Amino acid sequence: MDNLLEIKDLQISFQTFFGEVEAVRGVSFNVGKKETVAVVGESGCGKSVTANAIMQLLQVPPAYYKGGEIIFEGENLLDKSEKEMQEIRGKEIAMVFQDPMTSLNPTMRVGPQIVEGYRKHVKMTKAEAEQKAIEMLEIVSVPQAEERVKQYPHEFSGGMRQRVMIALAMVSNPKLLIADEPTTALDVTVQAQILDLMKELQDKHDMSIMLITHDLGVVADTSDRIVVMYAGQIVETGTTDEIFNNPKHPYTKRLLESVPRPNMTKDQPLQSIEGTPPDLYAPPEGCAFYDRCVDSLKICQHHMPDATSHSKTHQSSCWLNHPMAQKQGKEG
Amino acid sequence: MSQEPLISVKDIKKHFQVESGSLKAVDGISFDIYPGETFGLVGESGCGKSTAGRTIMRLYEPTDGELMFKGNNIYELSKKEMQDVRKNFQMIFQDPYACLNPKMNVEDIVAEPLDIHNIYTNREERHRKVVELLELVGLGNEHAMRFPHEFSGGQRQRIGIARALALNPEFIICDEPISALDVSIQAQVVNLLKELQDKLGLTYLFIAHDLSMVRYISDRVGVMYLGKMMELAPSEVLYDNPLHPYTKALLSAIPIPDPEAQRKKKIIKLEGDVPSPINPPEGCRFVDRCPYAIQRCRDEEPEWRELEDKHYVACHRAEELRD
Repeated sequence: MDNLLEIKDLQISFQTFFGEVEAVRGVSFNVGKKETVAVVGESGCGKSVTANAIMQLLQVPPAYYKGGEIIFEGENLLDKSEKEMQEIRGKEIAMVFQDPMTSLNPTMRVGPQIVEGYRKHVKMTKAEAEQKAIEMLEIVSVPQAEERVKQYPHEFSGGMRQRVMIALAMVSNPKLLIADEPTTALDVTVQAQILDLMKELQDKHDMSIMLITHDLGVVADTSDRIVVMYAGQIVETGTTDEIFNNPKHPYTKRLLESVPRPNMTKDQPLQSIEGTPPDLYAPPEGCAFYDRCVDSLKICQHHMPDATSHSKTHQSSCWLNHPMAQKQGKEG
Repeated sequence: MSQEPLISVKDIKKHFQVESGSLKAVDGISFDIYPGETFGLVGESGCGKSTAGRTIMRLYEPTDGELMFKGNNIYELSKKEMQDVRKNFQMIFQDPYACLNPKMNVEDIVAEPLDIHNIYTNREERHRKVVELLELVGLGNEHAMRFPHEFSGGQRQRIGIARALALNPEFIICDEPISALDVSIQAQVVNLLKELQDKLGLTYLFIAHDLSMVRYISDRVGVMYLGKMMELAPSEVLYDNPLHPYTKALLSAIPIPDPEAQRKKKIIKLEGDVPSPINPPEGCRFVDRCPYAIQRCRDEEPEWRELEDKHYVACHRAEELRD
């Protein structure tokens, strides 16, 4: 599979009053054509910063790029000027945000909002623009699209608003759709509808999706591959089956165990991960999960583990998976 | 569970008057909660589950209905009598960032209920009690003088729990206590709640939209839709053998963190969203989204009945759809 997007050793920090926050610390992964890659992690792990960096939506300063490359169709987005980025943002790469209420303009009718970005790229009359907006709403299955385009966002329910957001993102047939927690604010029955819709649109338009979420359930259903992030780094990547059936990193393992399975009984305690993620003002020199890991070795505290390959698609960064560590055993 | 119920909710209603009519947030729900059990209340946003919780606490004055607590209808008590009873009722809120006063330190936050009810005789006793409570929830003396912004979400929720426990309550309403927390922290808080239940014999009303967590923590579960109870059963029974079409759809929509199971699963898709509780449909509330609706469902409100042992449902066609 050809790669549409390649992120190489991306490092992003924020300059704040209290010092530097190292939000993304050397992240590398690819998104292939027509592929859905899920980026999973807890709040503060850097997943949204990575997404916003691809779109170049981070404000510089306080954010700044310390290193790395974001290659989209062979070109490094970090070298682009703002003007060049405008040709890509919204047209080649589009984004759907978590909260549709705050990402839509409350004072603007929905129809003009959907085509606002599109009209920057394509010249069209007002009537054509309205027609396009109606067409887009129909694509995302909003009933009575002709009337709905004239309404304001507050007249839409949460699920319908998220459909509008998707219509807005889909309007110029992007090659890559970045969905940042697209269903977190929605109810389960509506969530199922939205995930379905995204899959359908992906098949129809041969689009790649980068799905950012903390919900492992959503990931199991929708993604081809999973990238697990922790404290600004990738701890494990693999196909969906590899991650769920054969997790190799202790963090991934514990994360999977901390969600109640349908067949669990009440007296089995949930596996919780004690403690909290480290402070990224002063990231630990060794493995970031060291403090919370029950299987940690001495080396973990001071040395960052390299990535170990378990298969062509499956890598994890943990000393326990290092060929030398096996011999030494846990007491080391 | 043959004992007397600790709490008996009888046909409570809470309507809000709004411009366009009457918003029937809770429209006649009844259930019992037994001592020491966890009763889960689930439903989509806008179904009235949080309003139900607040009405049970009498934070909202009920429009109608009775709430029996140890044989007394607490809706009839005066403000003063209510204050005394309220010691037994506590609440844990959803947003650990909003429910703690940012200008108070942890000691004052946790001691506030003690202050109001004059529980201690001197400052040392107050401090000792606070430390005891903090230790109970896995925090300690060193946290007492800090302010809420110095804590993570999970720790703040622990502070909220310590405050709720200050008056030795028997009954705690947990309104979405974990939805604002990260997955790895959710498990910590749920384990803490269960541990405290065993240790202190607490009774919980656990309100949530996370169905897999509710199944895990609850003994019995009630499913609400548009202000009405649709189904109520012991949690294994409800999840393994749901009778109401809404419960079936709701359960099938839970994403399971297991790719194989997820691929095999058949999702019952519901069209549309939850309708507005202002002037809701007559007959069954679920009629517009129900794949099995017939004319009778539009005309006649289904009766709340015990179809199987301890398994209540409000659906005309529950028997037919059973298999």
